Amino acid sequence: MPLLNRLASLGRNLFARPRVERELDEELRTYVAQLTDEKRASGMEAAEARRAARIESGGVEQIKEEVRQVRTGQMLEQLLQDLRYGVRMLRKSPAFTAMAVLALALGIGANTSMFSVAYGILWRPLPYANADRVAVVFMRYFPRDFEFGTMCLRDYQMWKENNRAFEDPSLFTMRRMDIGGKEGFPEQVQGASVTAGFFATMGVQPVIGRTFAAGEDHPASHSLAVLSESIWRRRFGAGTGVLGQAILVNGTQATVIGVMPDRFRFPNHTTEIWTNLVLNPPTRYGPWFYRGVARLKRGVTLEQAQAETNQIGLRMMQQNPYYKRLTLPVRGLRDALLGPSLKPAILVLAGAVGLVLLIAVVNVANLLLARATVRQREMALRLSLGAGRGRLVRQLLTESVLLAVMGGAAGLAVAWGGLALIRAANPGDLPFMDSVRLDAGALGFMMAVSMLTGILFGLAPAFQSARTDLNATLKEGGRTGAGSHSHGRARAALVISEIAVSLMLLVGAALLLRSLANIERITGGFATPPGRILTMLISPGNQKYKDTAMGLAFYDEVLRRARNVPGVEMAAVTDSLPPDRQGDADTFVIEGQALAPGELNPIVSDATVGPDFFQTMGVPLMKGRYFTEHDVENSTRVAIVSEGFARRFFPGQEAIGKRIKQSGPGFGDNWMQIVGVVGNLKYLGLTVDTDPAYYMPFAQSYGPQISLAVRTKGDAARLAETLRRDIQGIDPQVTLAQIGTMEQAMQSSVSQPRFDGLLMSLFAGIALLLAAVGIYGLIAYAVAQRTHEIGVRMALGAARTDVLRMVLRESAGLAACGIVAGLVAAFGLTRLLNTMLFGIGATDALTFAAAGVGIMLVVVLATLAPALRATRISPVVALRYE
Amino acid sequence: MPATNLLQGTLDLLILKALAVNELHGLGISHRIAQITSGTFDVKPGSLFPALHRMEEAGWLAATWGDSENKRRARYYRLTAAGRRQLHAETQQWETIALAMANALRAS
Repeated sequence: MPLLNRLASLGRNLFARPRVERELDEELRTYVAQLTDEKRASGMEAAEARRAARIESGGVEQIKEEVRQVRTGQMLEQLLQDLRYGVRMLRKSPAFTAMAVLALALGIGANTSMFSVAYGILWRPLPYANADRVAVVFMRYFPRDFEFGTMCLRDYQMWKENNRAFEDPSLFTMRRMDIGGKEGFPEQVQGASVTAGFFATMGVQPVIGRTFAAGEDHPASHSLAVLSESIWRRRFGAGTGVLGQAILVNGTQATVIGVMPDRFRFPNHTTEIWTNLVLNPPTRYGPWFYRGVARLKRGVTLEQAQAETNQIGLRMMQQNPYYKRLTLPVRGLRDALLGPSLKPAILVLAGAVGLVLLIAVVNVANLLLARATVRQREMALRLSLGAGRGRLVRQLLTESVLLAVMGGAAGLAVAWGGLALIRAANPGDLPFMDSVRLDAGALGFMMAVSMLTGILFGLAPAFQSARTDLNATLKEGGRTGAGSHSHGRARAALVISEIAVSLMLLVGAALLLRSLANIERITGGFATPPGRILTMLISPGNQKYKDTAMGLAFYDEVLRRARNVPGVEMAAVTDSLPPDRQGDADTFVIEGQALAPGELNPIVSDATVGPDFFQTMGVPLMKGRYFTEHDVENSTRVAIVSEGFARRFFPGQEAIGKRIKQSGPGFGDNWMQIVGVVGNLKYLGLTVDTDPAYYMPFAQSYGPQISLAVRTKGDAARLAETLRRDIQGIDPQVTLAQIGTMEQAMQSSVSQPRFDGLLMSLFAGIALLLAAVGIYGLIAYAVAQRTHEIGVRMALGAARTDVLRMVLRESAGLAACGIVAGLVAAFGLTRLLNTMLFGIGATDALTFAAAGVGIMLVVVLATLAPALRATRISPVVALRYE
Repeated sequence: MPATNLLQGTLDLLILKALAVNELHGLGISHRIAQITSGTFDVKPGSLFPALHRMEEAGWLAATWGDSENKRRARYYRLTAAGRRQLHAETQQWETIALAMANALRAS
């Protein structure tokens, strides 16, 4: 049986190798001996016969090798042998191995984790049926210049009437919603009010029940609610009895009609409840609360839809001259969920981490080339002893793959840690972060890249030996000769590119960090330390507090209890909070100022605040007075304006004494007299230019939902629990939400730039480390190679400083090339950072210069150790070494 | 004629043929091939031994250690049943090819 025979041979070849080898050796020796016997028999002398026999037989070792080649299982056996040899070689040079594996691990790990995140956020298909056909329609116009801005009901009507590109345009608005009822404590969640076609557009089926039916957004519709699976489980134990049950949403009864699966999170990745948006016929422009969502008609592309929608935008501008430069940005579902700033940031970071991989790969290539030069003699020796070239190549391949596998395994660990780090650094508003997993594809790709590098550069010694003359290489003795020159040049080029790329990353990181510092320097406009301000949003729940008198009494009690909490210095109510919680913004009229025909009243932030608000926050009074306890419902209606407001609307005039009023229907003839001018507060984010604002006293502009702000003596966070208990003690229906210190609010408002800066710095750090290792390796190797030369120089009278200068000059030369290349490349690339930067230009000269100097320092530091070693070379030893 | 290149597969057939009568050691096989081809083929150990080991692993040959003429321990190869079948098959194949080639070359 041939198969059994084969198996027997395989077993023998693999497990009884010494015996097989011994027998082969004996067989061949017998052959030569027999041949010698014959020669002697034919009359040759003993020595001559032996010689002749040996020549006629050819190289015994070569024959053995060829016999081994035909043996069953020789591939496997050689692989094992190569692996053993590879491991031995790697263990013999631990520094080389450690550096190569470290470089690969950092490169592979950083890339795998970053690309896992990028894939999860930017590319993983959304779990909605119509995900790629649904678009969100925004409205952007001057002066309220937000790319993902909102429209009002009139704009929606105009869009709907003229729309041809979309099926069934729907409308939605996001708002925080207090939900309560007999099932449990009231809580506040992210919600959305949507028109009847919303769910049909998204194409997602409810888990139980139904979604809104056509017509359920008409003015007479009942209040309905669709819950998320999370609320359904949390508050209703996932029972089907929830359908038809009435719950409290923002204090009014709504009937639960369905539950959406957890994978459906829109318009926000935290949305947990949807109510039916009731479309009352608008009587005016505003308020601008809404965004459109619709499904593209079959055969219509997003670009075509955008073009058509822009035409509608032109008409909107014609009808309403207040709109300047109006566009209606149409965005795919994912882009809408990501917002305008996240995608470019993630792409930039992914690009940056790709550069890290490049550096890692270059580093490994560099190390392999260095080794190739050293191993040239080994290769020549092995070739002359009968090793086939194919065999050598295979063995080098095994070593490279071994290295790549080790790097990959370590890289997997780094990737795992990296992902945990990114999760920890998550600004909290990274959508889809829950769905991010370590991506096998990404890991595979990185492994493949590193293997390819290993193969490409690991084979250098084999190709080298193919070109070189064995005799010459072997004869050269202790020094490695031919080829090392071209290797040296290749390695210098690699190091230069490493320096250039890490400089680019360093510039990027420095720009982001300086930008972050710029943002963190912005105060928001208040003087009280943010750690000593505690804020929370209060919704009284009970309908009776819609009544102004009842409500004011309730808040008097809230403030009384708050002020009685030990550690509280001051307490006030407000509907707007810095840095980014704008309460309201709407049009207003200045008494005696006529509008140009067709012009709309200006829109500014209008905040409602109670007495002590400015004092609590530490907002300076520029002129006039603050609000007091005497500004009550039936006293003279008053307002305070911000400095920016006064400058914009009363330039060169006295603002105090002027009268303004909220415009639009329902506000009547309620003129307010300006009694004070205060410093500017930021309500639209720290990086947005200050929006002009006017303030109304709480007692004259009552609304049941408002935030409490307290100033404390010490750490404000410690008082949160006491305050919560005391306020909820007034009425169990009270919902308290968004409890936190101003410090937390400020931190979270810069979380995105901090995230960007942190990751970019990390990448730059890794790049720098790898580049330093690369430089060190190159120079150390060069010094070792030139030991003899340096010895001769010193013997001929060169001083130690000359030697030092010589070595340093070499690395400085490399650094200079790398820095020039890096600065040029960075100049071209940093403009990609433009949207992520604040208060600093993408080509900031100082940053570029500092990064260049920084790299130069790193290079000099990396060179110093080998350079000093060069100066300690003793001429006597160096010359004897030869 | 040592320069003659052995056609692919020819060496196998010659070894099988050389061993058809009795078992031989490596050098013996070499001599036997030279003898039966009237010196046309001079098989060098560099091709002989890999072929022998390959054929042994294929199950055509079996090897045993024995004493040579000069009292040296040598490895003797002999045909197995599979080897005989192989010799038969290859001989027929060769004859077919040789005939076809001869005809082809004679054709005008």
